[in-house]
Amino acid sequence: MACQGLQKGETLASLKTESDGLKKKLEVERGKLNDVELHQVAEKTEVLGALSIKTRRVLKGHGAKVLCMDWCKDKRRLVSSSQVRTSTDLWTREHGVSLPCTWVMACAYAPSGCAVACGGLDNKCSVIPLSLDKDENLAAKKKSVAMHTNYVSGCTFTNSDMQMLTSSGDGTCALWDVESGQLLQSFHGHTADVLSLDLAPSETGNTFVSGGCDRKANVWDMRSGQNIQSFESHESDINCVKYYPSGDAFASASDDATCRFYDLRADREVAVYQKDSIVFGASTVDFSLSGRLLFAGYNDYTINAWDVLKGNRVSILFGHENRVSRVKLSPDGTAICSASWDNTLRIWA
Amino acid sequence: MSGTMCSSNSVVQTQKLVDQLRLEASMERIRISLTAADLIQYCKDHRRSDPLLTGIAASSNPFKDKKTCTLL
Repeated sequence: MACQGLQKGETLASLKTESDGLKKKLEVERGKLNDVELHQVAEKTEVLGALSIKTRRVLKGHGAKVLCMDWCKDKRRLVSSSQVRTSTDLWTREHGVSLPCTWVMACAYAPSGCAVACGGLDNKCSVIPLSLDKDENLAAKKKSVAMHTNYVSGCTFTNSDMQMLTSSGDGTCALWDVESGQLLQSFHGHTADVLSLDLAPSETGNTFVSGGCDRKANVWDMRSGQNIQSFESHESDINCVKYYPSGDAFASASDDATCRFYDLRADREVAVYQKDSIVFGASTVDFSLSGRLLFAGYNDYTINAWDVLKGNRVSILFGHENRVSRVKLSPDGTAICSASWDNTLRIWA
Repeated sequence: MSGTMCSSNSVVQTQKLVDQLRLEASMERIRISLTAADLIQYCKDHRRSDPLLTGIAASSNPFKDKKTCTLL
């Protein structure tokens, strides 16, 4: 017994030494590539002029904090959640139907525009098919797909209506078959709640990035379930992660009041978007179409637009009267939608 | 008894960590001077089609209200 204990003790010690050694090696390897800073390479890039972005629409109608929203691919409809409201048609200014889904923290439009996924404190993510018939009993058609052991923080359809990715307070992410509800792959590696996920742009292959309360952002291979890259530079919870449009980088928003930019091929952080005057947590980020601008929503009710390459703030968008919980670029890049704890959504263009 | 159980779990966990770190350490990385150039090039290539950067005219932006002229 004592011998076994000693063996395990030795194995543990040697493994710990190896892991410490590998961590140092990773630092050194990443450091070698830090031959220049992003903003230095971007010195010759033209300076951005003032942006003429302002509020174009204010969508009221939620009776509670709006926690999440997503655009439909048709560029005119939105789904937003606290209680789930959908088909808010921005062009005809028609407010849509309330869907039977409570405690919603995450919502997403299906690529076809024919269904909506929503999930949250019920530990599930459900899919609701949309109908032109407003009297249709949507509650009966609601279907549970994902089952986690803690709240669902994020959900997204993959490239079709058939598969869905979720992130959860149970520390995992999961890939589901929508039709059968079957778990296709689970992703383990985070050591605390996962708060956000984002799918790589389809050209770059089957990966996604997740961020959470363990301050880590992890990149995953969807097929194998393998954690292929990991980034730990934030000083507090990562609330949101979003890929750069080329798929070679991603940005994160954190309670440490910074947003950061990570280059996947150099395998390191290459920019920090921060100011001494910004002391409240950043909850959400999204890029403009070219990737030059990063819009970030904060707990101080503002949205800051950052020059991704040069690192400076280009614009502040004022308007919301409470925390900004989500910002999302419209599919054609013409507008940003923001959701807020002030019970409204705003469209900025 | 519980001592050995605990250390077994630690060994398994640490082994997983080592395996993960080995995988990450084996990745082929590229210098920032090269990768940054590509990121910048992407921005340049797509600059003109980025409506929020270039600002598109009210007439073609569905969210900007079209101004109407009234003859007095």
